[in-house]
Amino acid sequence: MSLIDRRTVLKTGTAAAALVAAPAYLRAQAGAVKVGILQPVTGALAQDGELGRTGAEAAINEINSSGGLKSLGGAKIEMVFGDARSNPEAGTQEVERMQAEGVVAIVGGFASPICLAATQAAARYELPYIVDVGVSDQITSRGLKNTFRFGPGFGIVTGTAVENLTKLNDAAGRPAKTVVLVHEDQLFGSGLAKLMQNELPKRGFEILDTIAHPTPARDMSNIALRIRSLNPDLVIPSSYYNEFVLLARTMQQQRIRPKGVYAVLNGAASNYRFVKEFPDAAANVMDCNHWHDPRNPKAVAVKKQVDDAGKLWAYNVPLNYSCVMLLADAIERAGSADRGKIIEALAATSGAFKAHIMPYGDTRFVNGQNQGAGPVNTQVQGNDIKVIFPESFADAKPVFPARG
Amino acid sequence: MTARDLLPIAVAVALTALVPLFVTTNTVLNFLVLVLIVALAAQGWNILGGFGGQFSFGHAAFFGTGAYATAILQTRFGVNAWAGFALGVAAGALAGWIIGYLSFRSGLRGSYFALVTLAFAEVFRILANAAEVTGGAAGMLIKLDMRPANFQFASRAVFFWVALALVAAALVLTRGIECSRFGARLVAIRENEEAAQALGVDTLRTKLAAITLSAGVTAASGCLYAQYFLFVDAQIAYGTWISVEALLAPIIGGAGTAFGPLIGALSLHALGEIAKLFAGRVPGIDLALFGCLLVAAVAFAPEGILGLARRTRPRLKPAAG
Repeated sequence: MSLIDRRTVLKTGTAAAALVAAPAYLRAQAGAVKVGILQPVTGALAQDGELGRTGAEAAINEINSSGGLKSLGGAKIEMVFGDARSNPEAGTQEVERMQAEGVVAIVGGFASPICLAATQAAARYELPYIVDVGVSDQITSRGLKNTFRFGPGFGIVTGTAVENLTKLNDAAGRPAKTVVLVHEDQLFGSGLAKLMQNELPKRGFEILDTIAHPTPARDMSNIALRIRSLNPDLVIPSSYYNEFVLLARTMQQQRIRPKGVYAVLNGAASNYRFVKEFPDAAANVMDCNHWHDPRNPKAVAVKKQVDDAGKLWAYNVPLNYSCVMLLADAIERAGSADRGKIIEALAATSGAFKAHIMPYGDTRFVNGQNQGAGPVNTQVQGNDIKVIFPESFADAKPVFPARG
Repeated sequence: MTARDLLPIAVAVALTALVPLFVTTNTVLNFLVLVLIVALAAQGWNILGGFGGQFSFGHAAFFGTGAYATAILQTRFGVNAWAGFALGVAAGALAGWIIGYLSFRSGLRGSYFALVTLAFAEVFRILANAAEVTGGAAGMLIKLDMRPANFQFASRAVFFWVALALVAAALVLTRGIECSRFGARLVAIRENEEAAQALGVDTLRTKLAAITLSAGVTAASGCLYAQYFLFVDAQIAYGTWISVEALLAPIIGGAGTAFGPLIGALSLHALGEIAKLFAGRVPGIDLALFGCLLVAAVAFAPEGILGLARRTRPRLKPAAG
């Protein structure tokens, strides 16, 4: 007797034939779509990397629990996580690994140098890449077809920041005339200080001094003393988390109370940890930064979910959530996990994409940059972070000038 | 230097050059290119630190000068990438000569020399971060245009071979120094500078030649970095990471030997990658493991991997003749 009898052959054959003949979506259900999430979760940027991961995971869980990618027969998204270790080499190495594991697209990067290197590495394989935060204007000016940035770049953020500051001051009857700029000496800080030095005098502000400090800095007393002696109406700090917290606390201890603290792309001014740990120092601090749309019920729900899980909420979370949603939307429209088709679909994204939770206008990509993206102004009010500008997204009125 | 001296180099390089024929995954090739870039920087350090005993903590100054020079020449002055590479190496060597002249003339040695080089690298970092010509803190981007004429290759394998060729050249250079009178003078300075001087060695000249060569080789590594990642900023170019990599690799591999830096760079980075594989999803565990292994390596193999191999290898009978 042979080991395989006629009936077995028939049964197996029929089953195999049925499988081959079955519509594509039935088979697709088994295979998940792999998406690379690249974040720096070790090194200097570890805190931001974790926040980014939280956002991406929230979006992936939501998509998977609500039936997966419908146009791919309910295929689930499988996250392939990569640690960019806060440097561009490690970012590139992780892109290569993700490519080897067969991801259809990558989301993340956080810091500009990581984003610049990682997008280039991905471009070799025509691998779609959605930049989550990296604000350097160079990211979307290289003509890379695979690279998309959903959030705003440096030029848009700083331009809006100056614009909104002028509006804010005008609306309050121009109480602020003199300014001191405090900035860290890297990309954000020095670029911003240069721009402010050019733009603010044109708008009727007098810059009393520009003070640079390194990151990390361990003592801000000298800077605070300098601010005290100059007694400006407005302090414009752009620093990373620790340095700004230190400055705000030192100013509070030395009772330096300008009419306003107007931060731009600040690491702390719109960070709940700062608000929670140092509520007095944080009170009334304004920031022009990425932030979720507080009027969007979906954003509120995602924030509640993250809060309930005991995790920190910062702009990285909604940005990464939105970027993953953008990718999912593009895959749905492409109807395939083919990279070329996903890139085409991403480029063709329109205002019909509503699954994001950012306070942006209609999504439209030009050279990979979302034209609808922009920053908002936030202010710490009553131990919470409120949006005060633009009015279409605001959930609070600005408190300015802060002191009588 | 005889053909016998070059044989191990030729064999090692030829075998390494075959790797891309068998390993086609870019993950591995990309990893190896990074290892070669670090190895080249370390080979530069080894000439001054390994042979000359002048421990520099600031080889980033040369790495960064090479990287920035090639990037600036290409993007601001439209110089061809290959010419930019050569000029970058020259710029790095010049920076080495200047720093060497300033510090050796003042008789700085040991930890004082180490601190001065560290300070130079920091000063360069701050200047590059503020200056207009280096793109300030935003850094510099070399335009992506993958043509061999632009020193950019679509295939990672080709870049691997270019990097390997440079590492091979540095190996030959190091072996040449080892076998030459210049090398002997350098070692004499390392062992006892006063004694070398008493024997008639022009210590300043020898040390200047060593730092210039050393800086040139490390600058070549910086140029390679810029051509490979096409992006440089002050933190990458002049940051302490590369100074540390450049001195760690020879110390782990075996300072003052031709192959030490290469073996050191390869084992350090391989260790890092392997640790990452075992660490799984817990971030940072691999770095902790890496640190423990590093401590163990330094504790049990103070002469580096090559020194350890030499110590543990059973003594062969001396060859006749």
